[in-house]
Amino acid sequence: MKKENFFKKYWLVMLCGLVIGAAAVVLTAFGNPKNMGFCIACFLRDIAGSLKLHQAGVVQYFRPEILGIILGACIMALIGKEFKPKGGSSPVIRFTLGAVVMIGALVFLGCPLRMVIRIGGGDLNAIIGLVGFILGILIGVFFLKKNFSLGRAYKQSKVEGFAFPVMLTLGFVLTLIGVTFFAASEEGPGSMHAPIWLALGIGLIVGALAQKSRLCMVGGIRDAVMFKEFGLLAGFGCILVAVLVGNAILGNLKWGFEGQPIAHTEWLWNLLGMTVVGWGCTLLGGCPLRQLILTGEGNSDSAITVLGMIAGAAAAHTLKTASSADGTGANGPVATIVCLVVVLVISLTHLKKEQ
Amino acid sequence: MTDYLATFHTHLAALKTHRTLSAAGISARMSPVPRKISSSCGTCVFYSAEEPCYDKLDIDTEAVYRMDESGAVLLRENE
Repeated sequence: MKKENFFKKYWLVMLCGLVIGAAAVVLTAFGNPKNMGFCIACFLRDIAGSLKLHQAGVVQYFRPEILGIILGACIMALIGKEFKPKGGSSPVIRFTLGAVVMIGALVFLGCPLRMVIRIGGGDLNAIIGLVGFILGILIGVFFLKKNFSLGRAYKQSKVEGFAFPVMLTLGFVLTLIGVTFFAASEEGPGSMHAPIWLALGIGLIVGALAQKSRLCMVGGIRDAVMFKEFGLLAGFGCILVAVLVGNAILGNLKWGFEGQPIAHTEWLWNLLGMTVVGWGCTLLGGCPLRQLILTGEGNSDSAITVLGMIAGAAAAHTLKTASSADGTGANGPVATIVCLVVVLVISLTHLKKEQ
Repeated sequence: MTDYLATFHTHLAALKTHRTLSAAGISARMSPVPRKISSSCGTCVFYSAEEPCYDKLDIDTEAVYRMDESGAVLLRENE
């Protein structure tokens, strides 16, 4: 493919990558935790905490970025006449995969998006995570080629499509008016956040751009491996470039394994945690960010997956499987192995026979 | 020869259709669905044939387009 054709074809996804990378740097500069300008896993975990689904006091906050991303995608889909509610493709299995992906992500300490952002901050542990992530995607692609399928989705009512975005909006409004049910950390990562309206606004922009460009962390590597298509991967690369440049300008670029922000150095579990994420997300058809975007387009299967991720986050902190800067949680390694077994069982039990 | 594009409800349906078309000697290739066609990130099959070959497409086919110079023309849709 000629170079100019490549840019003409994929300029939007590359722009989206640059904007997300820049947005992550800006959100960090305005208060989000270091190397966590954007992390879908961490933000959903914080939301689970704010709903008191887990009791980890340092990670409780109703992150407006999540609502912004879903609403941004929803508004853009409505404008483009692409809001098409559908669902019914193995919802319980998707819920389970969502939970398992979240448990894996919290062993590594980040979703695929934060993995790239961590690399862009100089965190070499995240490169180990990337190796595991690619390994997981390759295993997932292997099963896709062996006829893995969760079955088709069917058209659903608009009410079904709007249900989750509306629920989340109501939750946000309740936090704004100070309903005391919601928890908010007074220390730790949950207490560190950009101003609400900036976070919401940036979330809206990122959601809209990601809907338009279909940016997906898993899709990039999957398409490159399966079809030799490198457009989504270029978006992935642009996030990295933007974060690297932004961190270099702000003096936040520090290469190394030790002492990285909200990260640990246990390489095996960094690797295997992200293997769970890559494998699970390939079976789901998209990374956590992509699940939020599809939720905004009215896909109730993705909404179920997001709910699964919230439940997984609650389980991870309740069962002490989530890592911290000190290392893996007491039950983190065992949980990672269990998650790998669960994804393997789901993979093997959904191989369809040729007719 | 006319160029066609089929989109599917599942990746598996694309895979099976690609196998069926290829086995019948029809030139076909799998690809991510072009963004102009859909906001979904599924897999599609491009193929060249005398006619749309509906009988060779999987039951979970979502839509079939004829690819003209001016763009894609929707021939059939199955929501």
